[in-house]
Amino acid sequence: MGGYVVRRLLLLVPVLLGVSLVVFAVMALVPGDPALAILGPYATPERLAELRAELALDQPWWRRWLGWLAGVLKGDMGRSVSLERPVADAVLERLGPTLLLAAAALMLGAVLGLAAGLLAAFRHNLVTDRLVTLSVLLGISLPPFWLGLLLILLFAVWLGWLPASGMVTPWLTEPGAALLTADVLRHLLLPSLSLALVAAGVIGRIGRGAALEVLAADHIRLCRARGLTQRRILLVHALKGVLARVMPVIGLQAGFVLGGAVYIETIFQWPGLGRLLVDAIAARDLLLVQGGVLVLAAAYVLVNLATDLAQHALDRRTAAA
Amino acid sequence: MSTDGSSAAGGSGRLAGPLGRLRRHPGALAGLGLLALVLVPAVAAPVLALPDPALTAPAQRMLPPLSAGHVLGTDHLGRDLLSRLVWGARASIAVGALATLIAALAGAVLGLAAAWLGRLVDGLVMRGVDVLMAFPYLLLALAIVAALGPGLANAMLAIAVANVPFFARAVRGAALDIRHQDYIAAARLAGHGEPAILAREVLPNLAPTLLLLMTTTLGWMVLETAGLSFLGLGAQPPAADLGSMLGEGREFLTTYPRVAVLPGLVILVLVVGINLVGDGLRDLLDPRWSPAGSSAQRQGAKADARRVAVGGDAGDAEQPDGLPLLSVRGLDVDVTGPAGPLSAVAGVDVDLRRGERVALVGESGCGKTLTALALLRLLPAGTAQRGSVRHDGTELMALDDTALRHLRGRRLAYVPQEPLTALDPLFRVGFQIGETRRAHGTESAYATAALVRMVGLSAVPDLLRRFPHELSGGQRQRVAIALALAHGPDLLIADEATTALDVTVQREILALLRRLCDEQGRALLFVSHDLALVAALCERVLVMYAGRIVEDAAASDLLRQPAHPYTAALLGATPELGQPQKTLSVLAGEPPAPGARVSGCRFAPRCPRVQPVCRSAEPELVRTGDGRRVRCRFPLEDGA
Repeated sequence: MGGYVVRRLLLLVPVLLGVSLVVFAVMALVPGDPALAILGPYATPERLAELRAELALDQPWWRRWLGWLAGVLKGDMGRSVSLERPVADAVLERLGPTLLLAAAALMLGAVLGLAAGLLAAFRHNLVTDRLVTLSVLLGISLPPFWLGLLLILLFAVWLGWLPASGMVTPWLTEPGAALLTADVLRHLLLPSLSLALVAAGVIGRIGRGAALEVLAADHIRLCRARGLTQRRILLVHALKGVLARVMPVIGLQAGFVLGGAVYIETIFQWPGLGRLLVDAIAARDLLLVQGGVLVLAAAYVLVNLATDLAQHALDRRTAAA
Repeated sequence: MSTDGSSAAGGSGRLAGPLGRLRRHPGALAGLGLLALVLVPAVAAPVLALPDPALTAPAQRMLPPLSAGHVLGTDHLGRDLLSRLVWGARASIAVGALATLIAALAGAVLGLAAAWLGRLVDGLVMRGVDVLMAFPYLLLALAIVAALGPGLANAMLAIAVANVPFFARAVRGAALDIRHQDYIAAARLAGHGEPAILAREVLPNLAPTLLLLMTTTLGWMVLETAGLSFLGLGAQPPAADLGSMLGEGREFLTTYPRVAVLPGLVILVLVVGINLVGDGLRDLLDPRWSPAGSSAQRQGAKADARRVAVGGDAGDAEQPDGLPLLSVRGLDVDVTGPAGPLSAVAGVDVDLRRGERVALVGESGCGKTLTALALLRLLPAGTAQRGSVRHDGTELMALDDTALRHLRGRRLAYVPQEPLTALDPLFRVGFQIGETRRAHGTESAYATAALVRMVGLSAVPDLLRRFPHELSGGQRQRVAIALALAHGPDLLIADEATTALDVTVQREILALLRRLCDEQGRALLFVSHDLALVAALCERVLVMYAGRIVEDAAASDLLRQPAHPYTAALLGATPELGQPQKTLSVLAGEPPAPGARVSGCRFAPRCPRVQPVCRSAEPELVRTGDGRRVRCRFPLEDGA
């Protein structure tokens, strides 16, 4: 088990190397002069030359990548030209809110999705099954950015129950810890729900299929032959089987949630990495894009490691070797 | 007998190809309808009498719906909203479809190369795919758009490229499957070159998979390109797709919500339509995804539960100790087919005495497992049983779920066929034994240690801490027997309990079952396809053919002289130890399918002794002189 975790963590290294190489290569394809793009048409030739030297544009892109890599190993992700500060500082500052948003959305999505899937499969009732199937279909077909706007319209504009943007109420001076937590949670609800409903669609769809499969399995029949109660069969035996099957899907949904954060953070003015990335792309700030993508990719890989471990804990047949 | 069921089934089988069936798929129909709602105006946009979607008219900004000349009103620049929606949908559909096409083609080429060009190419492609799939594809798309610059074509390209790894991986998997098929080997042997094999054998077989992948991903492709446009990275003004309209409308969300809400609604309708059609296609093209297990199938069982038939030949009417332990009368089992119920088991009448060991024998598919499960009322969804099953005088068909549950496991126990799948793979052996012992409120008849000793597993170290997959096949079956014995049942129903085991282990398990029944006066119903095997274990044998009991006799009588021609045929196909010269006869033909229209004796088509009268009416199961029961007009007799 411990060896498995270490090996999976070591696998993170080639994956992140590959990711950074891809992002560097892609950004190197940018036609035109990045220095000119950053400074605009009215920049002085001296400033342009200075920036080109700073960005090492006279070197081929792979040399720049190697240089960047050497820096990363020393904890230096370079300097953002648009923010005029170290990339590492900017990225780390924005990482927390994004992780908070993604974790809330993923957990909400998993709970909603599993509940819907199990309900559809366990209740041998055509109406429930149809209703769940329909809502799951809506979930996977919803544009999350549109859903975000609808939620703002309904809960912030019309009903006025929840804030429409930001993470903390700006005029909340000297808040206590409890008050601050409550305020952040109020801000968190709508953006995380926008992502969660879509993730719940996918999880619910897989969950329903998994539940039907488990319920038809031989060991469930033997449970009934052994005289176990229906409640025990569903909540102990079937539920564990469904969880073990759905776990990898929850891991994959972390990818959707982390990627979808780009839209949702833009809509809700959430101070996270997604918005930082959109701004960095607009400013052609290569090193900032690189740093942000790398950190999000690492988060994604780690979440998948966690769900794989959870799956292994639920089902010892899945190889941890 | 549902003889008309078979003709109906034949009728539905002849219905037109997949497209015909798609028309009968309600989800797919609804999807086509929704799709048409968006697609038809979008395709017809150039010929529709719509105002120019890019024509701005500042004086007419934000006109309400149903204004003159503007059905849905205008946006913040006075442009006609309906026209913009139609043209925007056109753009969104086009880029979504194009992105899907590009991703599918590129992915197919890469996937095929990985599957066909050897290990080096495979390794390179798959490592690349792993890296690209290791981070959220939306981020990859963002990086690509960042490199290419904003624009609808670039956004489309970015989404396409970001999805290539997904297609490459799926196509590689499918291609590897195809590669190992026999017909590929045959084509090679026939001297066809690789390009010819690829073109003639592989691509046609890959096409359905690819089509399926494309329809199931088209929805997200539309969503994702719209998303990039929403962020301002896709369509640039004055061009617009649904995503960029949504993005622009966002500014006026609080004042003029419809400008932002309507484009999103069109996206939703479009994507729901695409996904419904995709699901329909998947149901048709991929049998693994057939909508089986739908809850409707369960209804039948409940409705029939109280219908109890009585009468019929008792079989062993004169019981020495009065009441038989188990008494089955007129047991029918129907299986729900695509065209209604098909009869799989019909008219089973049988009694089991206390402590009696009875075998139920027949070919696979003859209905013996369904019969065994029906005795416990444990039939799977999609089946219905009728008739009477009495255990110790209690009618099982009249019991509610709780009473039935307390009967199962406590008095009637079941030993499954395949203990690897029958034990819950996710729970330790000790857990499963423990919960079984506690299942009926009171303590079980035996303590865990006693159960483990009884089934001969005391020597296995850490048995209770192990998972089923950490045991051998024989050990697993012993655990399953221990579970069955926990409450000291008076009847064990063993369903092909030794079939999955190798011969030595098989013998050990048989000996164990025999001892457990002998010592504790327990009855056994042993379901098997192996007549020679059961002769050693059971006192009495029931032979089943095509859902009917055809012979019921003492094991010794039956082995010495079978009465039914089918029993004789079964015996003739059984090798005997010490008689290597014996010629094994093989029965020609196949048993009739469940529900098939057979007038007369169901064995008549394969019977070597068939007479014209056999084909006219089905014979009854009648008692013969020596105490057996035979369903045959012309039974074999001693010396015949």
